[in-house]
Amino acid sequence: MDIASLRKPELTRRDFMKVAGMTAAYFGISQALTPQIVQALENNAGKAAVIWLEGQSCTGCTESFLNNLEPSATSILLDTISLRYHETAMAASGHQAEAALQATIAEGGYVLVIEGSIPLAEDGAFCTVAGKPFTEIVRETAKNAAAIICVGACATYGGIPRSGPTDAVGYLFRGKELHHYFDDVGAKPVINLPTCPLHNERLTATIVHYLTFGTVPELDQYNRPYAFYGKIQHDNCTRRGNYDTGRFVTDFGNPDQHGFCLILKGCKGPVAKQDCWDRKWNNRGNYCIDAGHPCVACSNPEFYEDTSPLYAHNYDFGLPPL
Amino acid sequence: MTRIVVDPLTRIEGHLRIEVEVENGVVTDAWSAGTMARGWENILVGRDPWDAPYVTSRVCGVCEGVHTIASNQAIEDAFGIELTEAGRLMRNLFSAGYYVHDHFIHFYVLSALDFLDIMAIASYEGSDPGLLAIKSKIVGLVVAGDTSPFTPRYTPDEFSVSDPETVTTLVSHYLKAVELKAKSQKMLSYLTGIQPHPNALMPGGCTATPSVEILMDLKKLWQEQADFVNNVYVPDVMAVGYGPLLPLAAAGFGATDGNYLAFPMLPQGSSAAAGDISFGGSNPMFRGGVIKASGPRGTLTDISGLTIEDVDYSQITESVTHSWYDYPAGTDALHPSEGVTAFNLKKEGAYSFLKAPRYDSMTMEVGPLARGMVNKFPALVDFFNAGGREGVVARHLCRAVISKQIINDGLAWIDRLIELRLKGPLVGMNEKAVPKTGKGMGVWDAPRGALGHWIEVDNHRIKNYQLVVPSTWNAGPRDENGVKGPYEQALIGAPVPDLDNPINVVRIIRSFDPCIACAVHLIDPHTNDVKVVKVS
Repeated sequence: MDIASLRKPELTRRDFMKVAGMTAAYFGISQALTPQIVQALENNAGKAAVIWLEGQSCTGCTESFLNNLEPSATSILLDTISLRYHETAMAASGHQAEAALQATIAEGGYVLVIEGSIPLAEDGAFCTVAGKPFTEIVRETAKNAAAIICVGACATYGGIPRSGPTDAVGYLFRGKELHHYFDDVGAKPVINLPTCPLHNERLTATIVHYLTFGTVPELDQYNRPYAFYGKIQHDNCTRRGNYDTGRFVTDFGNPDQHGFCLILKGCKGPVAKQDCWDRKWNNRGNYCIDAGHPCVACSNPEFYEDTSPLYAHNYDFGLPPL
Repeated sequence: MTRIVVDPLTRIEGHLRIEVEVENGVVTDAWSAGTMARGWENILVGRDPWDAPYVTSRVCGVCEGVHTIASNQAIEDAFGIELTEAGRLMRNLFSAGYYVHDHFIHFYVLSALDFLDIMAIASYEGSDPGLLAIKSKIVGLVVAGDTSPFTPRYTPDEFSVSDPETVTTLVSHYLKAVELKAKSQKMLSYLTGIQPHPNALMPGGCTATPSVEILMDLKKLWQEQADFVNNVYVPDVMAVGYGPLLPLAAAGFGATDGNYLAFPMLPQGSSAAAGDISFGGSNPMFRGGVIKASGPRGTLTDISGLTIEDVDYSQITESVTHSWYDYPAGTDALHPSEGVTAFNLKKEGAYSFLKAPRYDSMTMEVGPLARGMVNKFPALVDFFNAGGREGVVARHLCRAVISKQIINDGLAWIDRLIELRLKGPLVGMNEKAVPKTGKGMGVWDAPRGALGHWIEVDNHRIKNYQLVVPSTWNAGPRDENGVKGPYEQALIGAPVPDLDNPINVVRIIRSFDPCIACAVHLIDPHTNDVKVVKVS
């Protein structure tokens, strides 16, 4: 690697083009709208303010967001949005961080990203920041937000922590059930982008879609964009042919079974609604099933409480008639 | 005397609250507390043991993979599984690749802003087009009146790097590091399915079956990481550590009491029988060991002659005297294989929900410096000879040295994997059914230090699951003898000349690379009845 090349950051207008083209492609909208998206991004005077809260999070969704390569995560951070509060990324600590949050709330009109579940038990005492329960921080921050995007399984439906002792919920849902804990913050769009962790492209495209059109993409009954969560994994699985012909993995260690259907190993593909089969992960690097790992339906509201055990075939769907 | 609270302590993983008492410009006492918990260990009780690696990887999205490995090893220990060679190689490659990007991201993204006067970029007057682009970018943010997320910030002090050329170069490396991290995650997804949160690493090995083409691409991406580590990351750390930060290093800034613990990792041989325990192999790239302090804090001048003891895993305990947990009556500390997670929010004298891990009743610093001391890194010996001492700077130095060795030596594993693949399909898994009963332990030296998982299986289900994680070792509270945890020790004596600008407090804590979601299994409902002077 040439050291000089390290010093050439890609912080140019081309990044707007990349973001715009990507958004159009991800949402299945016409590339003819790309100039409109670019214009919307450029006209966004002062850039869109974003507050990113972390509740009962593991920071995995933040990590995933930073994996954007085309355009780079730093380009999104410096050129597309104005990240006012994000505990993992911001320079400020302590009282300065608090002040930045309060100033942005007062300004209003920002996009609120929530990562991590929200514990309701013990009046929110299972997660406090700067001495305040996270429930209170969410309520305070949601009030003046223009739109709320919940990322990852935890912020959407409670995720793995929902199985623990803290009464962990997502912003709107506790698993499949609606709850009404945050009713008082007013009607505003809430977009759920589940999976464990968040898929970075789904978030970037959602933010840009919102900035361009001022509307949220079409959502299903669990507030997931149809563009990403409209199809069933099993119907589109790269291993579907093996399912149809009855070739199943029964022993991960048997090389003769490489590439076979994973349903006897607990694969939840028949109930999983997501487009990983098409989108893949890590800049088209791979995804679970291609790595021989059964789908655990981490985009579904019932994950993980009702999808455990992860690797046992005890789900209510059968095998093909052979 | 003034009490200062830093909450949230940002640019770490998880939620951490640090309180210090300052007298005459020097920290005289300190407390560290995590403020979020999810009850992870309790979630696993009654579950299928096969769920454990998936679930425990979600303890933390930053150090995700090492939990999967420790969990897999605990299960393999309980089930009696020996890894296949391909399984061991893929697991090592995952861990090694992850390790390296985790370290350079810590240096550039999480720590560097504590040592750089970022606004010095505006004074850059050189002609490098790349650096000029950075300058115009940052100046553009200033002109537009929106410099988030780089501001607000603590005021730079005399130890901050303010030379415009150096600062601008380091910021350009910051941007490059983020891009290379994404590429590293792509490379690792070839073995794990997705990143972060590896899924394909399972008890018995790895389910991925990469083709030769994929392995060649992995090698190409690996080489790119190696180039960055060798030509950018290591030189940057050396330049800063031997340059502007050497006075801090010589003062033992941020040193703990000098007890160190490291576990073995990255086994390179196939048999698990060798003395230094590392399930799934022997001859670890980094050995485990224990060092007991031989003198006052931060005064050690020569590490080449230190005595390294083997780790005796039965000597590990967790104390809860000052933690919000109850143990059975008359019990002060428990071995993790018999650990109990039962909390008591009203407990007198308790101030944290982290337990206090101890080895042979002693507090231990774990992490890169411990690994460097136990393995007597030549670069660390040189650093001590140049006047450097234990503490903040030595931790950063050890991360860079470890990254260099891992990324360079790891290439041989890829070549061996390609060789195996050319002979036939890769057999990455050795699968075994869940036994009716069993007990197991898995250990690994995670980027932040000694990590252990303990599992007990009964009636084919998890009966007890306990994690003792690096940030619990380092961030834990006082124990039954009143001995402070390593974070608390490291803060004592730190200069805080300006109460409104406790930059040294965050420098010290961030040098440990805190990972608090891992460390806290339950929360701090801490109603904060101490008198607090908020930093404004």
